[in-house]
Amino acid sequence: MTVSFVSVLFVASALIAVGAFVAAWRRELTSALAGVPVMLAGAGTAFAGISRFASTEDAQLIGQEMAVLLAIVALAAVALGIGIAGREAPR
Amino acid sequence: MDSLHAIGFYVSAALSVAGGLSLAFLESRRRRGAALAVVGLGAAGTYASLSAGLAGAMALLCYAVIALLVARRDYRAIALPVDDRWRQVAGVGAALLLAVLAYSAYRGSFAHATFYGGPIGTAAIGRLLFSHDALATEAITALVLAALVGAAVGWRRERSRDERQREQPERRK
Repeated sequence: MTVSFVSVLFVASALIAVGAFVAAWRRELTSALAGVPVMLAGAGTAFAGISRFASTEDAQLIGQEMAVLLAIVALAAVALGIGIAGREAPR
Repeated sequence: MDSLHAIGFYVSAALSVAGGLSLAFLESRRRRGAALAVVGLGAAGTYASLSAGLAGAMALLCYAVIALLVARRDYRAIALPVDDRWRQVAGVGAALLLAVLAYSAYRGSFAHATFYGGPIGTAAIGRLLFSHDALATEAITALVLAALVGAAVGWRRERSRDERQREQPERRK
């Protein structure tokens, strides 16, 4: 059993499509927003795969760096969305 | 890549895809937070099996915080005025997106290179962040700062006039 570049890209495609599906399917704003980190995880997987299988010696870390940045962007997006949604009134 | 890493990759990938799919159908916020934590765990495992351990650790941390944020009880639910028909069209669109991406991954003639396996660590990634990709790092930090300020401002809830009037007599007592 081995992992090829194409199988990494398949996984990345699946994550991006699932994230898009979640964002489109949910009726509630913050639930739909939860699809964004899934899409960004897919993009990060593609970057990590590129850095593992298809990069030159000099550029191997750039894919990993992009994966780190995408995880931070996902966190920022969710924090901003929940912040904009605001706190519920106390009962 | 040896079999152990390959098994780890496929198990992690299945975890993250299953966690992502369950996000579409779970109703409780706590369960959605748990599903996002599973997505993060799967993504971290995928990165780690692709020799990106530091990226995996960062993803695990970021997705744990995202899961905690989503699992909170006290944010407002904002319903989007979306018709059922459009949701179904969006579902078909996501399936088409998957088909197009998978086809391009299968048919694309990508450049292949052998893995060098050189030193990968915090210092090397830090050097890249602050020298080679300083602009991207600045852009991300500006985005994170804007997100945090926006979240802090948005989180402050303006009290309604009724609530303020209700509090006034209580203070006089």
